Amino acid sequence: MTAADERGPAGRPARKEVVVTAAEAAARVSDGMTIIVGGFVTANHPMPVVRELIKRGVGDLTVIGSATAGLEIDLLIGAGCVRKLIAPYVGAELYAPIGNCFRAAAENKEIEIWECSEYILYAGLQARAMGQEFMAWRGGVGTSIPELNKDLVVFQSPLGDGKEYLAVPAIGADWGFIHVGWADAYGNGQHVGARFGDRILARAADRVAVCAERLVPNSYIRRNPVMTSIPYADMVIEAPFGSHPYAAHGFYAEDAEHIQAYVAASAAYRKGDRAAFRAYLDEWVTGPEDHDAYLEKVGIRRLLELEREYAGVSLGRHAPEGWPDAQI
Amino acid sequence: MTQTRWSWKEMMAIFFARQIEDGDTLCSGAHTEISFCAAMLAQKSHAPNLRLQLGGTGYLCNLAGRPVLGGVPKTSVDYRIAQWAEAYFDHPETFFFYGPPGGGRRYYEDRSAFAGHNGYFFADHFFVGGLQVDYHGNVNLIGLGADGAFTMRGPGSVGIGDVITVRNMFVFMTAHDPRRFVPKVDYISTMGPSGWREKQFPGNGPQWIVSPLGVFDFTGEGMTARLRGVFPGHTEDEVAGATGFPVARSELFGEIEPPTAEELALLREQVDVNGVLGGIPGGRPPGLAEREGAGA
Repeated sequence: MTAADERGPAGRPARKEVVVTAAEAAARVSDGMTIIVGGFVTANHPMPVVRELIKRGVGDLTVIGSATAGLEIDLLIGAGCVRKLIAPYVGAELYAPIGNCFRAAAENKEIEIWECSEYILYAGLQARAMGQEFMAWRGGVGTSIPELNKDLVVFQSPLGDGKEYLAVPAIGADWGFIHVGWADAYGNGQHVGARFGDRILARAADRVAVCAERLVPNSYIRRNPVMTSIPYADMVIEAPFGSHPYAAHGFYAEDAEHIQAYVAASAAYRKGDRAAFRAYLDEWVTGPEDHDAYLEKVGIRRLLELEREYAGVSLGRHAPEGWPDAQI
Repeated sequence: MTQTRWSWKEMMAIFFARQIEDGDTLCSGAHTEISFCAAMLAQKSHAPNLRLQLGGTGYLCNLAGRPVLGGVPKTSVDYRIAQWAEAYFDHPETFFFYGPPGGGRRYYEDRSAFAGHNGYFFADHFFVGGLQVDYHGNVNLIGLGADGAFTMRGPGSVGIGDVITVRNMFVFMTAHDPRRFVPKVDYISTMGPSGWREKQFPGNGPQWIVSPLGVFDFTGEGMTARLRGVFPGHTEDEVAGATGFPVARSELFGEIEPPTAEELALLREQVDVNGVLGGIPGGRPPGLAEREGAGA
């Protein structure tokens, strides 16, 4: 990264390096901002930043989740950071069909919900990324979604065929937080495995920060520029196991036991017992000093197990004869 | 009702698999172990050319002749899905690949005209879960309540209102009672088939409602729900008592064949290797071998 060929001749400015800590990244978010959190259900969430936001007590946020947002959003809601939610789903499928804090907050009118569906979300992000005022989309016509979300405007096709469309206004954000496999110090992020909706989420944000499993030299990025899915990130946070307790494609499996413990704490929250949820926050969010301390608490044995579980399937270590060697 | 030698989840998965033809396109949609196993079973049994987007990761998968390592995927982004992938696209691109062969309604009205066509589109089959489903096939994932207030907030509509080119939507309900099978849903996440025609969507939308008890089609007047059959071990009276809208027989009402020995063997030995459907154990871990709901 400090290779001589990346420096200009003496006296000229050097290229800007953007590596920060998760705490420094979270400090750029202030009350009332809009943030995007990448990943998908139980994979690839930028958890060190999520935890630091809660630790800082940031509030009144508008939070844009992924097209199938997971419990990272539920956690932000339960911790009281969220005023308005933009996401077509919050939960963790078989682990938790509906996010418990999300459900409680919606039922108690503690958050505003921008009702949408997957492509309505993407259409809004896409409009922002393209610099248009809106995108037209037929999905959602005839449903309750445009009745619940007055920002969506039903209009007749200008082609005269009598078909109805939704005008989905542009959705932008102050910051987008995205988990990637590796990134260099200049803000080139590369996914290692599935990218879900992360690229469009990043493109709709005014500024982007990536949490990278590995910080790598620029030469490593240049080996395969096609893989650079999030270029020009404004901040890079080095965070091994940065999606824990969720999976990171290319690296490790989700921590089912930890997720189940979170689901149990949040289920108690929904039923009015906030003590168990506060205990979870104390233990796993506000307690550990930083991401390294968090990982220390999870423990090296558990983390290695999650790596092995991933490798066991994805690298075919337990595969029958003739199974391909690598499946990343 | 009689005791059966398979679980209700196995029966549902096998029923779904039977509806999937070789060469169809399928996006598994909502994640449950039932819909995943159904798609996997179809591809491993009679549909090796099934064009299968398994889960929300954007992996296009072929499992024909391939083992299931690490068990049935637990979520729609489970990394285990990658073991069968031959192609990948980002999730938003799912929505860019929607157009049916020929455009418009032609494919849905005469599939035979497109026999030689590439035919890759989204999708012949799609699974939709719901908090509620009604007589017209409207499905609700938004919540219970009225006027934007929720006595019970659901998970959200995900993409089920977006998939307007789907030829056949399986609405599947994992429990069957009058709170879930209602005359009219509180909120609509995706419309029933008459709504799809009224709004001139390209696809057909919901064609089935499938529950642990039996199956509805939409052959009633105005494309309303009619009972197509009951699963072995269950009765029409039982379905009528558990349904909040009128239950009448479809003209196509018929017996639903129980799982064959071959279907069950393939499902248990090569698909549901960790027993998540709760079938009869065959060397499974003890905790996963409970006969959940079997014939009861």
